[in-house]
Amino acid sequence: MSAVIETKKLSKWYGNVLGLSDVSLEIESGITGLLGPNGAGKSTFMKLVTGQMKPNIGRVTVAGQDVWNNYRVFARIGFCPEQDAFYGDVTGWEFLTGLLRLSGYSRAEAAEMAARALEIVELSKDKDRKIRSYSRGMRQRVKFAQAVAHDPDIIILDEPLSGLDPLGKRRLIRLIKDFQNEGKTIIVSSHVLPEIEAMTSRIVMIHQGKILAQGDIHSIRDLIESYPHMISLRCGNPRAVAARFVSDASILKISFGPDGRSLVVETHKRDAFFSRLQSVVLEDGIEVEELTSPDDNLQAVFDYLVVK
Amino acid sequence: MATVREKGYYHWDGQLAERRFPWLPITRTGILLAFKKRGFRFLFAGAFLPSVVFLAIIYISEHLADFKFWARGSEQFITITPGSFKVFLTNQGFLFLMIAMLVFAGAGLIADDLKHNSLQIYFSRPLRKKDYLLGKMAVVFFFILIVTLVPGLLVYIFKLIFDGSFKFFLDYPWLVLSIIGYTAMLAVFFAFYTLLLSALSKNSRYVMILVFMIYIFSDILYGILQSIFRTPYMSLFSIRANIVQVGAFVFAQKPSQAVPVVLSFLVLGGICGLSALVLNRKIRGVEVIR
Repeated sequence: MSAVIETKKLSKWYGNVLGLSDVSLEIESGITGLLGPNGAGKSTFMKLVTGQMKPNIGRVTVAGQDVWNNYRVFARIGFCPEQDAFYGDVTGWEFLTGLLRLSGYSRAEAAEMAARALEIVELSKDKDRKIRSYSRGMRQRVKFAQAVAHDPDIIILDEPLSGLDPLGKRRLIRLIKDFQNEGKTIIVSSHVLPEIEAMTSRIVMIHQGKILAQGDIHSIRDLIESYPHMISLRCGNPRAVAARFVSDASILKISFGPDGRSLVVETHKRDAFFSRLQSVVLEDGIEVEELTSPDDNLQAVFDYLVVK
Repeated sequence: MATVREKGYYHWDGQLAERRFPWLPITRTGILLAFKKRGFRFLFAGAFLPSVVFLAIIYISEHLADFKFWARGSEQFITITPGSFKVFLTNQGFLFLMIAMLVFAGAGLIADDLKHNSLQIYFSRPLRKKDYLLGKMAVVFFFILIVTLVPGLLVYIFKLIFDGSFKFFLDYPWLVLSIIGYTAMLAVFFAFYTLLLSALSKNSRYVMILVFMIYIFSDILYGILQSIFRTPYMSLFSIRANIVQVGAFVFAQKPSQAVPVVLSFLVLGGICGLSALVLNRKIRGVEVIR
């Protein structure tokens, strides 16, 4: 399969700050997840791919054409930025039709396409409300709608799931997968692994402006599994829970909190631990008050992988 | 039974033609947003007041016999000449109204886009920087030309109608071109002036103050420097005085200041040049992380 988006030795810096360094990627049609902690360079990469920034070194081609200063290519791209990017005083309908008119569609076409896009994101009923009155989730959806309304071949989504409730996330993930089935090329960025995992198995890990790992999610998962996770559990009898896990080879360390009601477990196999914990809780009738992962963030995982 | 709605992806089957005026949606939006601002409609209507007054003066000048009781002794002041058009289009009150209009309609043109991060959405579309800037400038063109060029030409036509002959046209055949040229110059200058200030901040209220204060302050500065140095060249510090100088030249009138008109052209042109430089730098500046 030939690459739809290709970057060669792509570098971008902002004064002394390195945004992206020597990134060479070939992205094929389907969903590609861009995974990295905040400030890793995901948004920089997306802005370079959408032709909004000129790389300092290297080049980006979309469908074989250079993207920088080639505004005709932009008609094939849909971009959903991370931050809100609209006037509060306009309605969802005005926002969408205005942008479609900017894309070159006639008034009638813009109206038809905007209506369709709003229906897809389930905002038809609220289309005449000012965006200022939209909830965070609705804003996220209208932003997504503007990215797909003009039927682009390439969809670039920067943290599209942030701010959505679980149901909203599921709906949007389903929608993104529908676009994949239509043969679109989709790049989705996130700093939350399970979100990316729910959409695609093809991921690119980016950290400090560099590609850290690239490939199938399972191999990336293996990398992440090698990182010892800390899980904190708060319940009535933490020592009873600890006793059930002591014999487990994947548990590296168990410690107890000073209040006698919490324990912290360190394990290589986080998913296996959660799965086992579920059955332990059900079998022993343990009332769990709180379950957290103090270091369950990509930054910690990435730092660990970089050092390793 | 519930209706099953098809919510799959929608394919557009049409052919996307390259638009001749890709900046037009930006202009349309800018104009509509200006009219949504509280008080702007009142101000916009007020900007036509000088035109109405000038039209009344033209009518009186052509019907002096009907107004001889009122106009006794002031006939020479209400004789319509190209100088009258110059006074109409360069008078202080009229220019002030235009600035007031730009404070509302122009201050947020770029500032609001910077504030709302809209540039990244605009530029992910088939839109060039020049299309974007032209679209924004056209908003200022619209408001300036609609209160200067349109009334200027209408008043000229009414002058011919009230006169009942083409004598005025034959006496001053270049006057129409002067009206068009001067108002076009005014529109271009105010477009660059407003966009320059609008691109300097994300806060449109701050830009509103800048648009107003720089215009007023330049005139105050001129007054202060003039009283200290006693030289007409200090008028070059005043935006208003430079516009009046250029206006006098375009309408073939004696300049109010004993300063070569070319210097006023250079000052106004310099501000436009500075604006072009700043706009070129700022309108992609959204990418910079500080």
